[in-house]
Amino acid sequence: MRGLHHFRLALRLLARDWRAGELRILAAAVVIAVGAVTAIGFFNDRLNRAMTYQSADLLGADLQLRGSQPVPAEWRQAATERNLRQTTTLEFTSVVVRGDKLQLASVMAAGPGFPLRGALRTAPALYAPDEKISQPPAPGTVWAEPRVLQALGLEIGARIQIGNAKLTVTRVLTYEPGRAGRFFAFAPRVLMREDDVPRTGVIQPGSRVNYGYLFSGADADLTRFKDWLTPRLSPHHRLLDVRDETSSIGRALARAERYLGLTSLLAVILAGVAIAMGARRYGERHYDVSAMLRCLGATQRDVVALFLPQFLMLGLAASALGCALGWLAQETIFYLLKELRPAGLPPAGVTPVAFGLLAGLVTLAGFALPPLLRLKRVSPLRVLRRELAPLPPAAWAVYGSAAAAVLVLAWRFTGDLLLTAAVLAGSLAATVALAIFAGVLLTVSRRLHRRVGVAWRFGLNNLWRRTRTSIGQILAFGLALMAMAVIALLRTDLLTTWQTQLPPDTPNHFAFNILPQDVGGVQRFFATERIKTTALYPMVRGRLTEINGKPVTQAVTKEESDNNALRRELNLSWADTVPPDNRLTRGAWWDASGTGNRVSVEEKLADKLGIGLDDELTFSIAGETLPARVASIRTVQWDSFHPNFYMIFQPGALAPYPATYLTSFHLAPDQKPLLTTLVRAFPSVTVLEMDQILAQVRVILAQVTAAVELVLTFVLAAGFAVLFAALAASLDERFYEGALLRTLGANRRQLRAAHLAEFVVLGVLAGLLAAIGTELIAYVLYTRAFDLEYSFKWPVWLAAPLAGGALIGLVGFFGTRRVVNQSPLTVLRAS
Amino acid sequence: MPEHLNGVIVSAADLSKRVATAEGALDILSGVNLEIKSGERVAIIGVSGSGKSTLIGLLAGLDTPTQGEVTLAGERLDRLDEDGRARVRAGRVGFVFQSFQLLSGLTALENVMLPLELAGLAEPRRDARELLERVGLGSRLSHYPQQLSGGEQQRVAIARAFAMQPTILFADEPTGNLDSATGARVIDLLFDLNRERRTTLVLVTHDEHIAARCERHLYLEAGRIVDRR
Repeated sequence: MRGLHHFRLALRLLARDWRAGELRILAAAVVIAVGAVTAIGFFNDRLNRAMTYQSADLLGADLQLRGSQPVPAEWRQAATERNLRQTTTLEFTSVVVRGDKLQLASVMAAGPGFPLRGALRTAPALYAPDEKISQPPAPGTVWAEPRVLQALGLEIGARIQIGNAKLTVTRVLTYEPGRAGRFFAFAPRVLMREDDVPRTGVIQPGSRVNYGYLFSGADADLTRFKDWLTPRLSPHHRLLDVRDETSSIGRALARAERYLGLTSLLAVILAGVAIAMGARRYGERHYDVSAMLRCLGATQRDVVALFLPQFLMLGLAASALGCALGWLAQETIFYLLKELRPAGLPPAGVTPVAFGLLAGLVTLAGFALPPLLRLKRVSPLRVLRRELAPLPPAAWAVYGSAAAAVLVLAWRFTGDLLLTAAVLAGSLAATVALAIFAGVLLTVSRRLHRRVGVAWRFGLNNLWRRTRTSIGQILAFGLALMAMAVIALLRTDLLTTWQTQLPPDTPNHFAFNILPQDVGGVQRFFATERIKTTALYPMVRGRLTEINGKPVTQAVTKEESDNNALRRELNLSWADTVPPDNRLTRGAWWDASGTGNRVSVEEKLADKLGIGLDDELTFSIAGETLPARVASIRTVQWDSFHPNFYMIFQPGALAPYPATYLTSFHLAPDQKPLLTTLVRAFPSVTVLEMDQILAQVRVILAQVTAAVELVLTFVLAAGFAVLFAALAASLDERFYEGALLRTLGANRRQLRAAHLAEFVVLGVLAGLLAAIGTELIAYVLYTRAFDLEYSFKWPVWLAAPLAGGALIGLVGFFGTRRVVNQSPLTVLRAS
Repeated sequence: MPEHLNGVIVSAADLSKRVATAEGALDILSGVNLEIKSGERVAIIGVSGSGKSTLIGLLAGLDTPTQGEVTLAGERLDRLDEDGRARVRAGRVGFVFQSFQLLSGLTALENVMLPLELAGLAEPRRDARELLERVGLGSRLSHYPQQLSGGEQQRVAIARAFAMQPTILFADEPTGNLDSATGARVIDLLFDLNRERRTTLVLVTHDEHIAARCERHLYLEAGRIVDRR
C-alpha cells in the first residue's frame, strides 16, 4: 500500500516539476538519445534489409556455398529444416561448338528457382535493350553472353553443341546475379538448365566442377544455418554472404555500419553528458525538497521511493517520444529515398523500439542515477543551514555507472567491443588531458584581462572566478564540438571516398582481346566517338607454377592449394609505372630504362600464397617457363572498375609472348549501339557490360549516404542538448548574480555584453580543445576503424574555435536573456 | 516510567555539539540539560551564534550530538540512525523556519499537501485547503511561493507545519525575515493555532517580545543555558 501511495505521490511531484519546467533539458536529452538510437536502429534494420536485399541480388542468394565437391545430403537437409529456400548451380568449363568454330566457355547449369534473389537480365538480340527474367532458360535452350555469340558468329535461334547435347540459343545473357567481381578472368558465360547436364556427358569423375548451393530465407533462419554449417566446412568449401568484406559493397556496408554504430554511440554519450548535467541540476534544485521531506519524517528509502519512480516515468515517457521521433526520422528518409528502395521490402521490425526504450532507461540510469542518489543523503539539517549539501558521489560511481551504461548500449548496438572500448578509453583519457589543458588555456587567457573593456572584463572575471565550473563547461562544450567535428569530418571523407570510388564517369564496360594490330584502330574509334577510356594494358595469359623452385601446390598451405589463382590461368601484364589505383606497400618499382624479369605481386594474393620480396616465381606461359623475381608488393583497388592485375611484369619480360590488350570505358545508356559498331569493326574484341552492377552499387551507396546524413543530425542535436544543459547548469547562479549586479547599478547592456564575452571566450577555448581532440580521435578512427587515408585536419583548427566562439556565444547570449529580463526583486526573493 | 508518560515530550541531558573548524574544535553547545513537557510553550532565547538553531536541530533529531542524550516522544534520538530519527519525527513534529522553506516548484496548496500526501492521508487536498483558509490564504491556493509576500509565505509554512497535527512544533526565528507588523500577525497566528491544537511549541528567537508570549524561557549564551525562567 505504502509503495502504491508513494508511487502516486511521485507521479504528482513529477507533474508539478514538469509544470515548473525543471525537467525539460533532462527530457530533451533522453528524447535525443533515444531518438538517435531508435532512428539508427530502425534505419540500420531497414537499410540492412534493403542492402542485403540488393547485395543478395548481386550474389543471387542470401548465402552461397561454393566448392569443388558436392556437399553431403545432410547439409541441404539442414537448410530445408531451417525453412530456407535453396537451389543449386554447376559451373564448369567446356567447349561450345557451332559447326567448325569452337569457343571455350564457362558454363553454368542452374537448378529450378535460380536465382533466389535478384534477377537475370537477357536481351532478345545482341546489344538490344535487356529485361529482367527470374527463371533459368527452359530445358533444351541456353542463354549466352555476347562474347560467345560474337566468337561463334551466332544469331538468336542458332543451335550449339556442349558435349553431346545440342541446345538452342534463345536469348543474350547480359547480367547474372553472383558474377559481380568475377568478370573477364573467366571464359564467357553460357547458362543452361541443370536438367540438361547429364545429356552433355561432360561431367565425369575427376572433372573440374564448381558446385554452387544457393540459400535464401529469413535472417534468423539464415544465421542458424550459417552457425550450423560453418564448423562443418572443409577447405574445399567457401561460404559467401553479402557481407563479405572483400567486395566493394561489403566494405561500404562495413564502413557504414561502423560509422552508424560509432555515431549512435557518440550521440548516446553526448546525450548522456546532457542527462548527467540535467540530473545534477535537478538534484541540486531538489536538495531542499529532500531536506524538507526528511524533516517531515521521510526515511532515505522514502526519498528514493519518491524520486526513482519519477525518473522511471520520465525516462519511459521521454523514451516513448524518442522512439516516435526516431521512427518518424527514418520514415522520412526512406520516403525521400523511395525511388531507390527495392519494391516489396518489408518495413522495419519492432526490435529498435524495444531497444530504444531500453537505451533511454539505461542511459538515464547510468548518467542520472549518481546525482539523483545524492538526494537521499541530503541532511535534514539543511532546512536550518542551507549551505549543507550532500557529499558528492564518488568519482568511480559517476564514471563507472556512465561507462557501464555506454558499454551495455555499445555491446548491443555496435557489436564491436574493440571500437567501443577504444572510444570509451580514448574519451576518458582525452577528458582528463583536456581538463588539464582547459585549465592551462584559462590561465593563459587571463593575460587578455588588461586589454579589454569593463563589460568584457566582468565576463572574463566570471570565467576565472569559477575555475572548476568553467573547466567543466569548456570540457562539455569542447566534447560536444569535438563529437560534431569528428562526425562531420568522417561523414565528408566517407562520402568523398564513396563518390571518388565511383565517380559519374566510372568505366562501366570492359573491352578486351584487343589484338596488337587493332590497338591503334580501337584507340582511334574511342577518340572519334569521344569515349574516355582507361589506359590500354597488355595481357598475357599464364599460370603460376612454382614459388622459389617448389611447385605451388606444395609451396602454399593446404587451405590455399585450392586457390583460384593457382587453378586457372592468370592475366599477366606489364607496365613501366605503377597503375593509378595501385599502391606499393613493399619493395620498389623498376626504372623505366631497366630490364630484367621482375614482377610486382598484388598484396592479398602474395599474403595468401606466402610470397615475399625477392622470391622467385615461375610462370608457365604458352608452354614455356618464365622465371621472375618479386620486386614489389602492391595493393589494388579492385572495385575501381579499372583493369587490374595480380601480376605486373617489368616491360620486356613478357615481350616474347603473344599479348592482347584490355581497356575499360564509360558509356552512357544512349551510346549502347556503339558497342555493335565496335565489335563489327574489330571482330576479335570482346565487350563486357558492367553498367547493371555499377547501378546497383550506386543505389546502395546512396542509401548509406542518406543514413550517414541522418545520424549526423542526431549527433548535432545531442551536441546542442549538451550546450543547453551546460548553460542551464549555471543559470541559477547567473540569475542571482545578474539580479544582484542590477541592484548595484549595472545596466542590462553591460550585463549582456559581459555574458557575450564570457560565452565567446568559453566557446573559443572549447573550440581549441575540440580541435585537439578531433585531430587525435580522427587519426585513430581513420587509421584503425575506417581504413581511410588520414591527413592533418588543419581546417578544424580554424573552424572549431571560430564556430565554438560563434555558436556558444550565441547560445549563451540568448540562453541568458532571461537573466537580465526578470525583475531583480523576483529573483532575489526566490533565492 | 518513560519520560513521555510523565508528560515530558522532549528532553536533553548533557547535550554537546562540537565541530571542527580551521582554527580547531569549536564547541557550539556544551552540557545542555532541559525537559519540555507536553503542551508547554518554551522560548529559546539568545543572540546570533549562541547555538539556538543547533539546539533546536538536535532536539528535533535533524542532527546528532557529539555527546549527551536527546529524547523525543520517548525515543532516544542519539541512539538512532538518520532514518530512525526520521521515523520518530514523522507525523509528530512540525517545523516553521525563518526562511520559510517552501518548495518553489509547488503552489501554496501543494506545499501544505506535501506532508499529508507523504503520510498517505485520504483527503490531503481538502485538509490543506481548510488549513490555508484558516491562515487567511483561501484565495491564494494556486500561487507559487515567489508570487507571495514574505508574510504570506510564512503563513503557508505555518499551515504546513500544522497540517499533520503535530504533537510538537519547532519554530526557528519565524519572524526573522519579516517586518515587525507582519511578524506580529504571523506570531499571532502561530500562537492561535498552537492554542487551538494544544501543540507543544519550542520557539527560537532573539526577540524578547515574542519570547514573552511563552510560559518558559531558556537563555542560551555561547552554547550554554545561562538562565531559565
